[in-house]
Amino acid sequence: MRKKDVTRRDFLKSAAVAAVAAGGARPVKASPAMLSTSNPGSTVHYGFIGTGTEGCSLLKQLTTIPAGRCIATCDIYAPNLKRGVETIGSNPQTYTGSPTEYRRMLERKDLDAVLIATPLSMHAQMVIDALNAGKHVFVEKTMYFKEEEGDAIRKAAEANSKQVIQIGLQRRSSVLYNVAMQMIRKGALGKVMFVRAQWHRNNNWRRPVHDPKLERQINWRMYREYSGGLMAELASHQVDVANWAFGSEPISVVGTGGIDYWKDGREVCDNIEVIFKYPGGRKMTFTSILYNAHLEYNEQIMGDHGTLIITIGKGMYYRETVAKASNGKAKENWWAGATVTQQAEQKGFPLFPDEAGNQGFLDREMLYAKRWLASMGIYEYEEPHDPKWSELSNFMASIRDGKPIACPLDVGMADARAVIYGNRAVDTGNTVYWPKKEA
Amino acid sequence: MEHGHRIGFTEQAGGPPCSAPIGRAAGPHRGALPAIELSLLLLLIFGANPLLRAADQLVRYEATHRAMGTSFTLVEYGHNSAYLQEVASQVFQEIDDLDNQMSNYKPSSELSSINRDAAQHAVMVEPKLFRLIQDTLEYSRASDGAFDITVGPLMKAWGFFRGQGRLPSKAELAEVLKRIGYRHIRLDASARTLRFDTPGIEIDLGAIAKGYAVDRAVEVLRDNGISQALISSGTSSLYALGSPPGEHGWKISVRNPLDTSKAACVLRLQNLSLAVSGDYEKFFKLGGKVYAHIMDPHTGMPVEDMLSTAVVSPSATDSDALSTSFFVEGPDAARHYLDTHHGLTAVFFLPAASAGTFKQVVLKSTVTRLPAGSFISLECH
Repeated sequence: MRKKDVTRRDFLKSAAVAAVAAGGARPVKASPAMLSTSNPGSTVHYGFIGTGTEGCSLLKQLTTIPAGRCIATCDIYAPNLKRGVETIGSNPQTYTGSPTEYRRMLERKDLDAVLIATPLSMHAQMVIDALNAGKHVFVEKTMYFKEEEGDAIRKAAEANSKQVIQIGLQRRSSVLYNVAMQMIRKGALGKVMFVRAQWHRNNNWRRPVHDPKLERQINWRMYREYSGGLMAELASHQVDVANWAFGSEPISVVGTGGIDYWKDGREVCDNIEVIFKYPGGRKMTFTSILYNAHLEYNEQIMGDHGTLIITIGKGMYYRETVAKASNGKAKENWWAGATVTQQAEQKGFPLFPDEAGNQGFLDREMLYAKRWLASMGIYEYEEPHDPKWSELSNFMASIRDGKPIACPLDVGMADARAVIYGNRAVDTGNTVYWPKKEA
Repeated sequence: MEHGHRIGFTEQAGGPPCSAPIGRAAGPHRGALPAIELSLLLLLIFGANPLLRAADQLVRYEATHRAMGTSFTLVEYGHNSAYLQEVASQVFQEIDDLDNQMSNYKPSSELSSINRDAAQHAVMVEPKLFRLIQDTLEYSRASDGAFDITVGPLMKAWGFFRGQGRLPSKAELAEVLKRIGYRHIRLDASARTLRFDTPGIEIDLGAIAKGYAVDRAVEVLRDNGISQALISSGTSSLYALGSPPGEHGWKISVRNPLDTSKAACVLRLQNLSLAVSGDYEKFFKLGGKVYAHIMDPHTGMPVEDMLSTAVVSPSATDSDALSTSFFVEGPDAARHYLDTHHGLTAVFFLPAASAGTFKQVVLKSTVTRLPAGSFISLECH
């Protein structure tokens, strides 16, 4: 059908424009660059605190980022510390033995930056100490644990405003997510009103513990003393996507949840179901369950003209069969022919960054060919790098070259507030409202 | 043939003649008061030019909807886009209801349960569907079986039902042909029941359902006061209601069957339907030969010596059935039908002697009596 083709071309055009604009990871708000300390060509010497599972996952990415060199690692749990050292392979000095040992590491003058991947309850103090010690800071999401910690971190960051602080929400560094956000800004989805996200698993979310004495240390995510549960560990990624898509943080949240399936002594919910309300009646729902993995995890961003279904590594765009109202008449020219089947129309379009940009004819043609193959399901677009690699590269580039920070303080704070208020809504059963912004 | 669903049409036939100013038929619309004030104001400014006034106030609304394995597209003109949207929802709801009733892809449809049970016992049928099946049997009789709603098993044997095309063996075809034939459908009008007199019969309304849905959609549009609209079902069945503002008929280009990016004929239609059958959207190739999806129920083979047919008539149901029927029968047999039925125009696209070319044959009913308010112009290249 001729009309359909035109619409499809229009879409591809708008996606291409969006992608050109995306170019690479760009933060929503530009942060002050580290001009005074930036030193292109130098190597960033960093220390790594918390070399557990997530920490080692970051360290593995760091092994292929030449802009930084790990000279110190710190973990209270010896097997993890050993694993971290082995993972990074740069023969770092190790700090272990007491929970405050990291402060000794911070005293090192040759240390430019610190990366923190410890249990959530430890984030705030470490971030503040590192900032006050004059270090650049990368901290895993969720940025902080308790509401009051946010202001303390902000104060420390403002007092040390020439240092970089970046939060580990890696979707902010994903090419696909940036294309998605550009598509939203360009109106490919129309009026974006709803984000539906789920993070569903079918396991107990525990790590194996060979010595019961270590249960709370290894399975810290299960205990309220250290952990914000599913909200902090999983929802934080997706609520940030909603914040990004809506260009706003929520104004209120309601929710429920419970320990209803894995009654194994854990203190955090094994299922949560929350609704965040944003200005203008926009909403985001999040569910996380640990007893069915069929839907796995993704975010479905919905506007009155289309839907984006996106997760790390894959994004699809589906056009709504939207009606068009216009004033006056149009040039009516209709085509008649053998029945056109609907199969082609039901397929979505894969998200595809326009890397060709200003390149030549052949590159552009190649891109169109790839995009076409992708739409047929023959070719899959892959991110040029793991978004974790991208976020860590961005961290080094922010320090060394003054590049804008992909996920700066404000983004992390908005995300942490949503996690904290979301948990409060689940715990109390009340609607939790965001404090009124100071004028 | 007289069909129940055409009554609605003749009732509407006393509408404005085709030369009358367009867009004056007032549909119900909301917030009418300011619109009236505005029109009075415009009247003062522009005098009494009704065309200008209508064009200033009209809203064009276009929407598409997926159903029956294709896309329905609707364009309406009216005074209020919210109202037009509500009417469009009603239209699409009607089409969905028909899809749910008449689909042979959906196990829960009424048609599927007829197909399951009618060989065992007489099945009661919803009145409108019963009437439609009655009509299809009329088409079958009139075309001496060229149109036949029992070709489903044949389509399956050729792999046109949820699958890849395949070449059935002669033995297989002979076996399948035993399960084909509209005469195996027995209707009891007084009890409104249907039964198959032999097992293995299946009804497939694919050759008529889209046209029928278009007619029912037009009824919904008319019932809601819409007088300028076009509804198209996958481009193969459409109805031109009234004309676009300031126009004389809806302009419709019929695809060239050998180069579908080009138009073979251009029509202008007002209060008429058009249906196109063609072999170029659904076919498969095997051993260098092309097998298309329109079957000759007599031979069990795909029709080969026809590229496409287009039929214009007051009823989209008629047009849909006749375009298939004429595709199978060819122009010679169709001419006889056109001699005895009025108000029809048919275009045949036949393969020509040299490869890559085709010839066109245009046939019209001997009596070209069109309902009042209807208009057709046809230009073939």
